[in-house]
Amino acid sequence: MLRGAEITLQCMRAEDVDLVFGYPGGAIMPLYDALDGSGIKHILTRHEQGAVFAAEGVARATGKVGVAMATSGPGATNLVTGIADAKMDSVPLVCITGQVRSALIGTDAFQETDVFGLTLSLTKWSRLVKTIEEIPSVIAEGFHWARSGRPGPVVIDIPTDILKAKMEFVGPVKFASKANPSNGHAQPLFAKELIALLEKAKKPVALVGAGAKLAGAIADLRRLLDQLQVPTFATVHGLGAVPPSASYYLGMVGMHGTMAANMALDETDLLLVFGARLDDRVTGDPSRFSPNAKIVHFEIDPAQLDRVRPCELPIVGDLAETIPATHAVLREVPLPDWSQWRGVACGEERLGLEPRGLAVPTIRFLDELFSRLPENHVVLADVGQHQMWAAQRYRSCSPRGFITSGGLGSMGFALPAAIGVQLSKPDATVLCVSGDGGFQMNIQELATVHRLGLPIKLVIIDNKFLGMVRQWQQLFYQRNYAETDLSDNPDFVAISKAYKIHGQRISEDAMREFPISQETGNELDRFLRSPNPELLVFDTAPEANVFPMVPAGASLSEMLLEEE
Amino acid sequence: MHVFHIHYRNTQGTLMRIINAASRRALDLPYVKAEANANAHQATLLLEVTPKQIGQLRRDWYAIVDVTEVQVSVVDFETGVLVPHPPISTGNVAQSATA
Repeated sequence: MLRGAEITLQCMRAEDVDLVFGYPGGAIMPLYDALDGSGIKHILTRHEQGAVFAAEGVARATGKVGVAMATSGPGATNLVTGIADAKMDSVPLVCITGQVRSALIGTDAFQETDVFGLTLSLTKWSRLVKTIEEIPSVIAEGFHWARSGRPGPVVIDIPTDILKAKMEFVGPVKFASKANPSNGHAQPLFAKELIALLEKAKKPVALVGAGAKLAGAIADLRRLLDQLQVPTFATVHGLGAVPPSASYYLGMVGMHGTMAANMALDETDLLLVFGARLDDRVTGDPSRFSPNAKIVHFEIDPAQLDRVRPCELPIVGDLAETIPATHAVLREVPLPDWSQWRGVACGEERLGLEPRGLAVPTIRFLDELFSRLPENHVVLADVGQHQMWAAQRYRSCSPRGFITSGGLGSMGFALPAAIGVQLSKPDATVLCVSGDGGFQMNIQELATVHRLGLPIKLVIIDNKFLGMVRQWQQLFYQRNYAETDLSDNPDFVAISKAYKIHGQRISEDAMREFPISQETGNELDRFLRSPNPELLVFDTAPEANVFPMVPAGASLSEMLLEEE
Repeated sequence: MHVFHIHYRNTQGTLMRIINAASRRALDLPYVKAEANANAHQATLLLEVTPKQIGQLRRDWYAIVDVTEVQVSVVDFETGVLVPHPPISTGNVAQSATA
């Protein structure tokens, strides 16, 4: 006879779970009691939001399902931001929450919340377990849905009496999926239409999102793009999918994308979308988005189609199947010569734009850091100006090398996520770039970093403002810096010392000379190569701004290149 | 007014997810009916929606794990007959569903 808690953990092990993040509490105590000897390592974070972001870090770095655990009531509600984050960015995540005992559900018992109800619109699938007998099937089905099709978050809420109950356990079960209407199978039935669209196109472009990475189709995608040789750009989650050295690559697209990418997207007459949902940060004003473009959309999730306008050719299915099928079809077809268009779109006039203004030292600082990273690295960016600077300057062909909260834009994401990344990639150099605002949202996880001795390299770009909001206030609200002033920030170096993590400051003056001094370079090398956790605070100009910028509601052609 | 018939497996929360796709868009729900229908269940919703919202709803519902089929009709108030109404992208999606 095994307890429900032991059965739950055995079923999780059967789903290849060996690492979970969490925070104990009353209703989930039976599960914690059964952890010892389960084969599952538990990482205690200092807040449930830290746990769920750390689990996301594992999932985003490896593609495996990340797992977070929390107790009922506030423990579960503290997971909600991470669950929403995983939904927006298609991250495979399973959250196990304890619930008050079955007899108390619905009585407003101590630490009772309707976790199932409050996460319903944020989850891909969820269950409130009603009997011990259904634990194996619920765990199996939950992990199946978290990782299958378009990955996403799953919540499994287990009342404490069911965790404590006992039954004869014959072993984990496998979930046999019924046909999912979301998932088609790739057959080159779309070939004729696609070829016709390509033959007519004068200015085709390719937009790469996270889909190819999630599908494990990066190599196939690169082969197809090499074949097409059309100007190509990436969303923030598509960074690393296309080698920056590719002659047709224009960098990041969207609100803070490169001028070349945004202009090409605005001018194109045929837009090939690979696993991107075309959200407002990519399209600008939807009514003026790529006004002349026909759209071919490679996508696993039909719910992401036609968000801006109907696409001419939706190619619905796993990109691991549809991209190779497309490559095979197009290999037999002579494609038009788009070299003239490519020359315009990828020309020096558009791509050669150098950064200007107060942001130059910060950009140079990031360039210096990124250029010193070993091949085996992961860069995490939190949310705000530093995130966009990092995304603009990141140059790597590592598909999972740049991790950030893109869809939900959750400040406080990067530090705990870096914990999950470093644990799942112990040999990688993990560089975590945060702003002074976001860093303080989960600053308590420095304790977790120290406890585990993780050699994460933490950077704070400290402008003593909520910088991105301040930038908008400057540009669109007549410099009314309402409640964005963080000039009374704590001393981050002293705080890191309190957490027993070495910290130091670097002034932006160190980045004004080019090339930077030998001394500064040595300091950056030491920081990145240290076997210990390190914090580096970079003091930057309070009014440095991120450019280019497409103002909210403007079209991509109306991007601002500098302050006017 | 459009009538939506959504066929689904009656698992925990599926009906709520179906309704939520409408309520998150602040659509009025003048008529909702859920009933057992042969081996599956069926929810019927009457909604005032734009053609673009029809496509969005249809795709949102298909993204729910246990939804098996979505049918859309327009109410012809003169005759009282439900006329099948393919949303803008139905043809394309149907064509590519096997792609």
